[in-house]
Amino acid sequence: MFDRVTRLLTPAFIALLPAGPATAAEQPSVDEIVHRTNKTAYYQGKSGRANVQMTITDSRGRVRERRFTILRLDQPDSDAVTGRAYNGDQKFYVYFRRPADVNKMAFLVWKHIDRDDDRWLYLPALDLVKRIAASDQRTSFVGSDYFYEDVSGRDINADQHELQEVTDHYYVLKHTPKDPDGAEFSHYLMYVHKTSFIPVQTVYFDKNGAKYRVANALNVETIDGYPTVTQASMEDLRTGSKTLMRYSAVTYDIQVPEAVFSERHLRRAPTKYLR
Amino acid sequence: MLDKLSVTMVHLAVNRPKAVIWSMLVSTVLIIGLAAVPSIWPNQFPYLNAVAVDTDPENMLSEDEPVRVFHQGAKQRFGLSDMVVVGVVNEHHPQGVFNAESLGRIYRLAEFAKQLQWTQGERQEGVISVDLLAPSTVDNIEQGGLGTVNFSWLMAAPPRDDTEALHVLERAQRIPFLDGTLVSEDGKALAVYLPITRKDIAYRIRSELQAFIADWQAAGDQVHITGLPVAEDTFGVEMFIQMAISAPLAMLVIFLLLWWFFKKLSLIVSPMIVAMVSSLATMALLIASGNTIHIMSSMIPIFIMPIAVLDAVHILSEFFDRYPQFKDRRKTIEEVVQTLFAPMLFTTLTTMAGFSSLMLTPIPPVQVFGLFIAVGVFLAWLWTILFIPAYIMLMDEKRLEGYGHQAGEEDHSLLGRSLAAAGKFTVSRSAVVLGATLLAVATAIHGIGKIQVNDNPTRWFEAQHPIRVADRVLNQHFGGTYMAYLELSAPEEKVIVADADLIEGLRLRRGEGVKLGNAAGPYNAMIDLAEQHDGDQPLIAALNDAAALGLDNAGEEDYYSWDDIQLFLDEQRQRGEVFKQPQLLRWVDNLQRAMLENPNVGKVNSLPDVVKTVYRELQLGADEQFRVPATANAVGQTLITYQNSHRPHDLWHLVTPDYRRSLLWMQLTSGDNRDMETVVESLQAFIDANPPPLALEHNWFGLTYINVIWQGKMVTGMLEAFLGSFLVVMLMMVILFRSLLWGLLAMIPLAVTVGLIYGVIGLIGKDYDMPVAVLSALSLGLAVDYAIHFLARSRDAMADCGSWPGAVPRVFGEPARAISRNAIILGAGFLPLLAAPLVPYQTVGIFIASIIFCAGAATLLILPALVTLLQGMLFKKEVSPCSTE
Repeated sequence: MFDRVTRLLTPAFIALLPAGPATAAEQPSVDEIVHRTNKTAYYQGKSGRANVQMTITDSRGRVRERRFTILRLDQPDSDAVTGRAYNGDQKFYVYFRRPADVNKMAFLVWKHIDRDDDRWLYLPALDLVKRIAASDQRTSFVGSDYFYEDVSGRDINADQHELQEVTDHYYVLKHTPKDPDGAEFSHYLMYVHKTSFIPVQTVYFDKNGAKYRVANALNVETIDGYPTVTQASMEDLRTGSKTLMRYSAVTYDIQVPEAVFSERHLRRAPTKYLR
Repeated sequence: MLDKLSVTMVHLAVNRPKAVIWSMLVSTVLIIGLAAVPSIWPNQFPYLNAVAVDTDPENMLSEDEPVRVFHQGAKQRFGLSDMVVVGVVNEHHPQGVFNAESLGRIYRLAEFAKQLQWTQGERQEGVISVDLLAPSTVDNIEQGGLGTVNFSWLMAAPPRDDTEALHVLERAQRIPFLDGTLVSEDGKALAVYLPITRKDIAYRIRSELQAFIADWQAAGDQVHITGLPVAEDTFGVEMFIQMAISAPLAMLVIFLLLWWFFKKLSLIVSPMIVAMVSSLATMALLIASGNTIHIMSSMIPIFIMPIAVLDAVHILSEFFDRYPQFKDRRKTIEEVVQTLFAPMLFTTLTTMAGFSSLMLTPIPPVQVFGLFIAVGVFLAWLWTILFIPAYIMLMDEKRLEGYGHQAGEEDHSLLGRSLAAAGKFTVSRSAVVLGATLLAVATAIHGIGKIQVNDNPTRWFEAQHPIRVADRVLNQHFGGTYMAYLELSAPEEKVIVADADLIEGLRLRRGEGVKLGNAAGPYNAMIDLAEQHDGDQPLIAALNDAAALGLDNAGEEDYYSWDDIQLFLDEQRQRGEVFKQPQLLRWVDNLQRAMLENPNVGKVNSLPDVVKTVYRELQLGADEQFRVPATANAVGQTLITYQNSHRPHDLWHLVTPDYRRSLLWMQLTSGDNRDMETVVESLQAFIDANPPPLALEHNWFGLTYINVIWQGKMVTGMLEAFLGSFLVVMLMMVILFRSLLWGLLAMIPLAVTVGLIYGVIGLIGKDYDMPVAVLSALSLGLAVDYAIHFLARSRDAMADCGSWPGAVPRVFGEPARAISRNAIILGAGFLPLLAAPLVPYQTVGIFIASIIFCAGAATLLILPALVTLLQGMLFKKEVSPCSTE
């Protein structure tokens, strides 16, 4: 495991990460690190959009591609980590373009902080909008190695957090689910870059204590002032399958009306905002 | 030349008995050491071969056999693993196994099974947890309230009460993939499938599982652990039990019979030593040369033993009869070896030829079997000629006193009297004997016509063996435990859409796009590019590159055009994804239904089932929506919805990601290759009557199908090998007797024996399987042996007596006694094999005994009758009248 980490945590990669204000003297609390990371990963800006090119490669090297656009709108007005003001409900709109047979397929999430998320799926070829029951979010996102939960963010209250280690550049967080039966992992480790709070690597361990799933941030760019992961991967070590996500045309604080994130707009895609 | 060799050998044995015995001991110990040392200390002697066991039925075919190469390739393509199956049946609870307690146990079993993993060297071995099929590890799709579809684990947690437990069953029964596979169709039983990384860890997995479920029986759950890898491992263990118990037991019986016939314990130890030395040295050579202990090669000692004893008994029997005449062992031995040397050499050569002929079969384990038996037979001959005389020389001469028949003494034993009577009868009633023989042969030919070629590795176990019991119980409850796989594939195509069609398509697209308000510029650019395209790159690839570039650099005004062009190109690509075409899926669905009409097919898992199930649940779960949707896009979207599950990779067990190959996984209730053949025929009949909507190839794979192939090869291979060696042996006979007629005569007992044995097999309905097939080679060895001895001694007797009727009493004296003793000792010696735990050994035991008795009888009855009939042609020279010494 650590060979992979150390390989990633090379100076060359670290140089990509924004330095940020050096407040080295003060060590933030675990809670602070967790929330800063959560904000960096899912809440930057009040809203955002990105084109995603997803490449799934199985253990035999067979490749499948997906392309989609993600729109996001945060409910809280504040972006402040102080007082957890940033951490509120969110809405996501995922519009699929490729492969051709899923063109115009759309997926809508209303993420709630205090209860289960609402999710809808629109299947144009079946002319069908389906609500997806909120039973389990740790299922594959459109056949990739990412889970739905990885796309919209895991509820940070579902886990217990410990700061396991502090290295020169990283906080190593250990997250353990409060309800062990609610997840397939026993815990996961997150390597959070100290100044940018980007989770550079996340490693999941199964109930035997074996590592079985690894997420990596592969490229970081600063866009509209926000450090942004523009290339990321998720690898399932048991199936040998790996998914690469490349983000392009990333913008923050877009002017998208809340009405776009509605069941009605699943059938009538808001093309204007998806371009 | 033969005389010279015989004199040299017998002199060596008689003059230097100690040297002969030492050289036998030392050479044998050295050979055994060559095999034993690396087996005991594998690390110290890496360059030597250690004992290796092979119980994989696939290895009946060589590794580069096309059907195996395809099998391996397809297994990888569809990510299929070998499975350990844990079947749980509950006959006490009214809800069967679907009660809270049983399902709670099964839940814990699945959790336990997921952890059965360990690191072995560099590799992770054990249960492949991502492919584990258990209620808690498979996905369920169902209605979750109005307009809501629910993806969840079938049994996320142990049920709290029996009602919840029953819901697990109800949910699973609505999912075709699970019904009849995970849950039984009668709702009483459940099966957990544990895919494993390698077959040879099955024993370890099974032991761990057995410990885990030890207390289930008391709680009312019957557990059956089975699956091919388990059967193979168990088979390996029982193979050694067989070698350790049945073979020595056979030896013991032979020993007791020898004792009874020859009375002298000290004397009859010698054939046992020859048998032991030949078998052990052969097995050691087998191991040392890097061959595996296989179902076939494990039978080598059982085949060598009788042949070794047979040679030695000829010498002993002759010695027994002659010693009283000479009262001098050296003289007796020299005389005996002189008499027997040529027939023994020839019987050895014919036996070796018979078994070597097996090397002509295309089945590697059978080749190894034939080769090493030939080696063992040679060793047995060598040590019989050298060791037995040496052994006799080293005995205390006093202990030979009173040994054997007194000269001129009539043999009044039951055997002696019967033989004398038989001799008279065959001469006086030769026509009756031959008539009866012809009748028997006719019946046998009728029987041979009814022979059914059939085998099934599971049936190598006895009917009451746990593996067979599990097999029966699980086949009663589930769709079937024998897997056969059918791959349907569209041929590889470089170009899915012709260039002209692409250009035409772009033009049409431009028309539609412009109507919607898209800029025409990008379309025009693409059409120009397409029209001017030449070079090595396929047009579609060139267009894709151009479209990607166009989209990346698109401005406000032409973005939608570029997006539309790219969409068009991807649509063209997807036209090659044939297993998303509703028309084809419906055809596969019909094929599946047709296959289910074959009573051997219990269940078929297929891609259309997945599509139909997910589509139904998307359409409010109404039963009438259990169908393939109308368009390829609808299929694509249904499948991507299916992949929003815990196990998205499950789809790739049924179709490859390029959607050009699809798998039908058939569960058969029988593993008999005869039944598999009917399944193959059903498919062909369906395809002939309903050609697929587009060109498709179909290929079977899976062990049940591989069995069909090797069985077919075995039948033709064995027949060719037998006919080939029959001719070779006949040629040897003609050379030995320097007469075509005598040579043909020597083949008669063999031909009759083989005919009768296979005729009986056909008549009683015993399947012609692997052990039965190799028996013909043994008949070749034994039946010719008797014939050679009988005819050679008949000629000698004729030379002495001048007339056949006069020679008959002599022939039916010592030579006939030797043959009958032989037949009785060996025939009875093989009956202990009936106690072996594995059916192939039982089959071999009963049929070897039958072959021996039959060959003995054929020799002693048919040959004298024929000689009587043909004596005018056989004995041309007038010879001196019979002299009695």
